[in-house]
Amino acid sequence: MVQAMTEPPVRAAEVSYGGTRWRVHDLALACCALEYAAATLRAPDDLPAELGDVDLLAAAPEVADVLVVSGTVTDALAPAVLALWERLPEPRYVLSFGSCSNSGGPYWDSYCVTKGVDQVLPVDVYVPGCPPRPESLFDGLAQLRRLAGAPV
Amino acid sequence: MSALPERSRGVIALIDDKCTSCMLCARECPSWCIHIDSHPETTAAPASGRPRTKAVLDRFAIDWSLCMYCGICIEVCPFDALEWAPAHRYAEPEAGALVHERERLTDWLPLR
Amino acid sequence: MTKSWSDAVAGGLGVEPVDEFGTLRADVAPDRWLTAVRAARDPLGCRFFDWLTAVDEPPDTLRLVCHLARPPRDGAQMRRLLLRTTVARTEPVLASVSDVFAGAGWHEREVREMFGVEFTRSADASSADRLLLPAGFEGHPLRKDFVLASRVAAPWPGAKEPGESDALLASGLASGRAPRRRVRPPGVPAPEDWGPSDEPR
Repeated sequence: MVQAMTEPPVRAAEVSYGGTRWRVHDLALACCALEYAAATLRAPDDLPAELGDVDLLAAAPEVADVLVVSGTVTDALAPAVLALWERLPEPRYVLSFGSCSNSGGPYWDSYCVTKGVDQVLPVDVYVPGCPPRPESLFDGLAQLRRLAGAPV
Repeated sequence: MSALPERSRGVIALIDDKCTSCMLCARECPSWCIHIDSHPETTAAPASGRPRTKAVLDRFAIDWSLCMYCGICIEVCPFDALEWAPAHRYAEPEAGALVHERERLTDWLPLR
Repeated sequence: MTKSWSDAVAGGLGVEPVDEFGTLRADVAPDRWLTAVRAARDPLGCRFFDWLTAVDEPPDTLRLVCHLARPPRDGAQMRRLLLRTTVARTEPVLASVSDVFAGAGWHEREVREMFGVEFTRSADASSADRLLLPAGFEGHPLRKDFVLASRVAAPWPGAKEPGESDALLASGLASGRAPRRRVRPPGVPAPEDWGPSDEPR
């Protein structure tokens, strides 16, 4: 869900893949958003080690390194998705979660669905699934972390 | 994490020996994500018959970025050439790489 | 379904309702639409507005359907009512019921956008704003003659016959068997009926 900011955006700490916590903000659009929540609402100890020190529930894009797009992007909403992306400070990455944000998915032929969030944003990792299981999400996030140059 | 049962919904594997290129899965797929190419081959006439022509599979590809994992292709295949396999870790940095060709689809089979 | 509810609806609306699986369906004339919805609310007591939508019934009509409910009270059970009317495709205009149920305004905006039905309002409302569709969208998507262009533009993987390949189709050579009409997927009109053409249709 696009969240309204009540305070000016402030980067709380210097975040890099060099060892400190990296933070992921979920753009919750449809079914995949619930699956993202189901996968991530767990104790930090329960997360796979391959993810390192990660906050998967960053409260706002202003403090996030990664934007996960979970769900169907419609043509009417596409400008808002772009506006949200622009609020992430650099360096920033996008993970497309599920078929709808990968390509439009089952709604590829709809009159109002954007055929993949990569029509609007640069995507770094595509996680297949409809919806993807938690293992798929963690695989995609781990790949993203390696792509971004995090220490193994 | 406990192991998933065989044929859990994860990825769809191809048993290409069984595929006759009948095109049913490609036609029934709601996402239009199955791509099949085939060519005809004629076998010599048996002793009392005439030459037979059959379709031979060349290309079988599934685009996972479109697939909604409904399983209609598996249900509709008259030759049981498609099966679920419990694999989930095949994310890619490029959307094009989510198109799995015949060899990769058959490689999923041992997992189930 | 008690006879008393059926009788009450008949008396309140002036039409004989039909029992459909526990819901009463009443068809009214379009010029009596607003009156019927008002009567359904008071005195029939259907104070819960559930939804209002339309169904495209080619060739001539658009059917408007409104689902209302009388909530349970004082031991009386909940009662459902499906009100329906029709408008002509060539002149799809109907009275708005947003003065009876304020929430109907949203549903009417959606029907306007998706089907092209104009709802006359007693009060001025910003119904010209886009609701769900992006700016500049043309057409009414939920009408049955609205073609999904993506299905026409994208090549259908199922168009091939066994023994054919993309290379073969591209070369224009026929397969070994006699040529026959290509199967078209659902929702894709024949190229002579829809799509780009050099000649005006």
